[in-house]
Amino acid sequence: MTDEYEFEIKRKDESGKVYYSTYKVPKDKISTVLEGLLYIKENIDQSLSFRYSCRMEICGSCGMEIDGKPRMACSTIVEDLKKDRIRIEPLKHYKVIRDLVVDIDPFFEKYREVKPYIIRDDDGKYDKELPQTPEQFHEYANFAMCIKCGLCMAACPIEGSDPQYLGPAPLAAAWRYIADNRDKGAKYRVEVVDGEEGTSRCHFAGECTEVCPKGVDPSFAIQKLRRTALKIELASIFGGR
Amino acid sequence: MVEANKEMKEGISAWAKFYRKGTGYLAFAFHRLSGLVILFYLYLHYTVLSNLLRGQATYNAIVKSITYGPYDSFLALDFLLALVIFYHGANGVRLALNEFGIGMYHHKALFFTFEIIAMILLGLFDYYALQFVGVGF
Repeated sequence: MTDEYEFEIKRKDESGKVYYSTYKVPKDKISTVLEGLLYIKENIDQSLSFRYSCRMEICGSCGMEIDGKPRMACSTIVEDLKKDRIRIEPLKHYKVIRDLVVDIDPFFEKYREVKPYIIRDDDGKYDKELPQTPEQFHEYANFAMCIKCGLCMAACPIEGSDPQYLGPAPLAAAWRYIADNRDKGAKYRVEVVDGEEGTSRCHFAGECTEVCPKGVDPSFAIQKLRRTALKIELASIFGGR
Repeated sequence: MVEANKEMKEGISAWAKFYRKGTGYLAFAFHRLSGLVILFYLYLHYTVLSNLLRGQATYNAIVKSITYGPYDSFLALDFLLALVIFYHGANGVRLALNEFGIGMYHHKALFFTFEIIAMILLGLFDYYALQFVGVGF
């Protein structure tokens, strides 16, 4: 064991050629991967680019591929990786803007498609509070924890082979609102999530759940969505609500 | 539908990257790979059957050469085929149950349970298959 970590960072030059830059970071100066990157930026190489903001796993900005797995740089303790040479790469399935910074716009476009907000059938013209029991709250509470970091999209093998697939976070968001007793928009969302690029593309690899830093379970949500979509489809065929 | 960024497509090679992946991913990857093996065998099977068009004698000669020689070593591949079918079938049942909302909280335990049952059945299948071709124990 040495007293330094080696950060091996995937980068691209102006011609688009991929290369790895290696930096030595003293172990006693850092705790998390983000601190290591900031140490490099401040002391070794000012040209290194990465995105971060809150440093406390809330903003969802610093997602990157750390030692072969999508993780948040701010909450990944370097010592926990149990190695001195850490390979860091930009998130998979996103276009790289520069170094570790990726373009997350396509992710948010997919997110918007599932209408991630409460849809009412009374045009919001209700004259009293919408009651919600603790049980009703817990129906969707887990899925409301999503910080839109997009790690699940990078971990999903289907996203890798079919970029049109809506993906785990948007589908979990769809379930978060469908499971909310105040929401009446299930039939609108099912049109989106039950399409060709929706839940039917999920093959339950479960990597989205494995990598989620907030403990959200998108693979569970997708299975619940399937059942709900089936019920709505059957109801539309055989009548009923 | 959103126009996704196609340049980020990893392709099917991404299925075979197992480093730092969980049980669910391994189940998924082997399910796909075993599916491809079954698909390949299906077309191989059609190819053999299509020899019926060339007459009964030709077809019988091919079947005999595969079963009794000189190409009877192909029978070993049948055991590999049985392995992937048992694996694929057991995991398929588990996935179907999960998709209907059954056992979702215990999908990993369900995976191991179904696969252990499938491998026991595979062992029985292999035993009787070997008895059938005359290999004694």
